Amino acid sequence: MSTAMNFSSKSFKPRAPDKGSFPLDHFGECKAFKEKFMQCLRENSFDNSKCRLQSKDYLECRMDHQLMAREPLQKLGFKDLMDPPPSQEESKPCPEKSC
Amino acid sequence: MPLPLLLRLSLSPPLSGCVRAHRYCSQWILRSQAEHLLRRRPSSRLATRGHSRKSRSQEEEWRTRNKTVLTYIAAAGVGMIGLSYASVPLYRLYCQATGLGGTAVAGHDTDQVETMTPVKERVIKVTFNADTHASIQWNFRPQQTEIYVVPGETALAFYRAKNPTDKPIIGISTYNVVPFDAGQYFNKIQCFCFEEQRLNPHEEVDMPVFFYIDPEFDDDPRMARVDTITLSYTFFEAKEGQQLPLPGYSYN
Repeated sequence: MSTAMNFSSKSFKPRAPDKGSFPLDHFGECKAFKEKFMQCLRENSFDNSKCRLQSKDYLECRMDHQLMAREPLQKLGFKDLMDPPPSQEESKPCPEKSC
Repeated sequence: MPLPLLLRLSLSPPLSGCVRAHRYCSQWILRSQAEHLLRRRPSSRLATRGHSRKSRSQEEEWRTRNKTVLTYIAAAGVGMIGLSYASVPLYRLYCQATGLGGTAVAGHDTDQVETMTPVKERVIKVTFNADTHASIQWNFRPQQTEIYVVPGETALAFYRAKNPTDKPIIGISTYNVVPFDAGQYFNKIQCFCFEEQRLNPHEEVDMPVFFYIDPEFDDDPRMARVDTITLSYTFFEAKEGQQLPLPGYSYN
């Protein structure tokens, strides 16, 4: 923790989390997803980039069980894991050169 | 000769002593200059009458030079006093500009999570630490010792807390990020800190932390050698109904 006698060095200022606090999962409803995520981490030597799908699943589980405020996954930084909706692909305007 | 004067000054209280010191210093300088110039006069008196006109103009020259020197010293003294008064707002401005002393440098907006792109070249190891205050009987530990993330990518990490006693215990936690400078880039989207968490007897829960490191971390030259960030949580026991003020928010 930051002490009062650091005149020259920076002290740490804790900030509240953006979306507040996770309610506790007292009943272990999302424990299976957590275990999958931890398994994935252990297999991939704790590389977070390889386990983003599992973390997305865990957060979706939390949202389904009312343990987290429902938010579109893009807002949680998962836009690269989202499939584009099919309607967008069909009605894509044709590029200028070929049309 | 200046030593006893300075010793006397060091015993007086610091702030007013500084002002007094400037005055004493300037006065002492004036006095010594005046004495030095006075000592030169006998040599001019020894000169013959033919040199009296020259010596008189020399005296006048010395006098004007004395005056200019005196005015410069007086101006310097006044300038020092003014600077000591002006240093308070100036230092505040300097702190805000450079970010020393813990003042907030860059705020982050919550929409950034949507638009940020991960900086895949910069891999940072985030290690986790869990502490409990001596009076709380929870077993609190991280479920992974470390995780490798890149700035701009959201990451999930878990802690586990167990209440081994027979009565419910309410805990409240705070966190710390080391190195302190990197703490400004460490943004938590959601975690379990600053709010009361109640654990029933013999209950064990998983506590997630959902965070990301700001992509501007890669651009900061001060962070160029930072490869490891340590996130440390500490749990304290909370009394029923206690409300901790959230840091950074003001309740008015």
